[in-house]
Amino acid sequence: MDKPVLNISGLAAGYDERRVLTGVDLSIPQGQLTAIIGPNGHGKSTLLKTISGLLRPSAGTITFQNRRIDGLRPDQIVERGVIHVPQGDMLFPAMTVLDNLLMGAYRGGARTDLNARLHDVFALLPKLKERRRQIAGTLSGGERRMCGIGRGLMAGDGLLMLDEPSLGLAPIVIDQIYEIIFDLCSAGRTILLVEENAQRISERASSIHLLDNGRFVWSGLGTELMSRPEIVEAYLGA
Amino acid sequence: MEVFIQIIASGLTLGAMYAVATVGLSLVYGSLNMLNMAHGAILTLGGYLSYVAIQHLGLNPVLALVLAAAVCAGVGLLIYLGAALPLLRAEGFETNIFIATIGIGAILENLMLKGFGPYPIPQPLAIAGHVIIGNVHVPLQNLFILAVAVVLMVAVAFVLERTRIGRAIRATSMNREAAQLMGVRVGRVYAQVLAVSGALAAVSGIMISSIATLSPVMGGDPMLKAFIICVVAGLGNVYGAVLAAVVLGLLEASTQYILGVRWSFATLLLLVILVLIWRPYGLFGRTLVVRL
Repeated sequence: MDKPVLNISGLAAGYDERRVLTGVDLSIPQGQLTAIIGPNGHGKSTLLKTISGLLRPSAGTITFQNRRIDGLRPDQIVERGVIHVPQGDMLFPAMTVLDNLLMGAYRGGARTDLNARLHDVFALLPKLKERRRQIAGTLSGGERRMCGIGRGLMAGDGLLMLDEPSLGLAPIVIDQIYEIIFDLCSAGRTILLVEENAQRISERASSIHLLDNGRFVWSGLGTELMSRPEIVEAYLGA
Repeated sequence: MEVFIQIIASGLTLGAMYAVATVGLSLVYGSLNMLNMAHGAILTLGGYLSYVAIQHLGLNPVLALVLAAAVCAGVGLLIYLGAALPLLRAEGFETNIFIATIGIGAILENLMLKGFGPYPIPQPLAIAGHVIIGNVHVPLQNLFILAVAVVLMVAVAFVLERTRIGRAIRATSMNREAAQLMGVRVGRVYAQVLAVSGALAAVSGIMISSIATLSPVMGGDPMLKAFIICVVAGLGNVYGAVLAAVVLGLLEASTQYILGVRWSFATLLLLVILVLIWRPYGLFGRTLVVRL
């Protein structure tokens, strides 16, 4: 097993008085797809927000490439190479697709080779090239998702954290989005994926972690998870 | 015909001055959700700084303009560091900063009252002479104001649309969290926006005092109009604000001629009421429609 790029230990976080995460430990290996699954409202997005610095942890440590990143500002964390594609895209709605992508390459390290990176993103997501002059707020749901992922890719190398990329999309569009994600995996990208539907990723993820009530209750391989119907039923209602 | 040219000339000048005063306000509201009630005082300060620089320091007018803009940018920065930054950490930022900037404005105004006295002073940064357009004498000063305003607006638009900093400002105003995730240091964006807004206020203060006179309370009226323009355009919409400023300037000039000066402000307010009944988010404001 590769050395982990991201290490979380004893992490606690929440909003104001409400604790959402307690004692979360996680390590993410280089070049693989790590998935976090779990029921809604049990801390998956909170965990990503805490990693990317939008939320400050109240306890615990997060290290990325052996350096502490907890307590840093979000811009400093992106600068180190932790890229968070948030839930619901959070595009800049009045900007063109191209400007959205350029915003993705805002961080200092991503400014070199801008054209090459744009070329790569357009190669992976040709739809965005067609739509590059369109105002992002007028895109369809699937296109918006692609724009969000493309914007994350524009930030360059590093850990890519995707928060429920299938949310609110039609099944056929979800398949397209996952095809893109699996392509990235095959290319050796390190990905941390949050997903509600375990089935969709069970075969591709190198490890799956089940988050329930603010802590990990089960970790293992996707195939293992599928052979434990009692877990799937209890936590994911599938 | 002559009346028409007269109205257009003074209307455009008014519009240009309002536009410069409004854009700063609109930028600040767009990125921080902050109504800067000290804007009028900063504008007045700009006018006085130019007066001091020319009359007492004997500076060249261009240098005086730059100096006034730079100092007022510094004041904007101080408002960020001293008021906005600490208030952003607490709940209720929009209300708190509104009240805090009223206080800052009052302090600035009273300092100027103390320093320069209550009596109106002429603004030395003015160009004498006029050109004749179709039998109408149009003061060079008006044309100069128009030219400076156009240059400034084009510069602001260029920065917003074509530069990395401008993209970061727009991104922050559209979605602060997302901008942070892209690596934008939003605190720095806020500081930049308040500094730019201060500099623009200074320039508009010099313009306005060069047409009227300098007095410690002169900022109140243009700030009120700038707010009206912002509301008509849709709060935070910078380009809409420029257009609305020009239209309202022309409207004001025509009302003054047709109905008399005392009706101009009433007409303006009536228009705002009508616009807000018709379009509660302002002419160019919109509630975002998101397709799923």
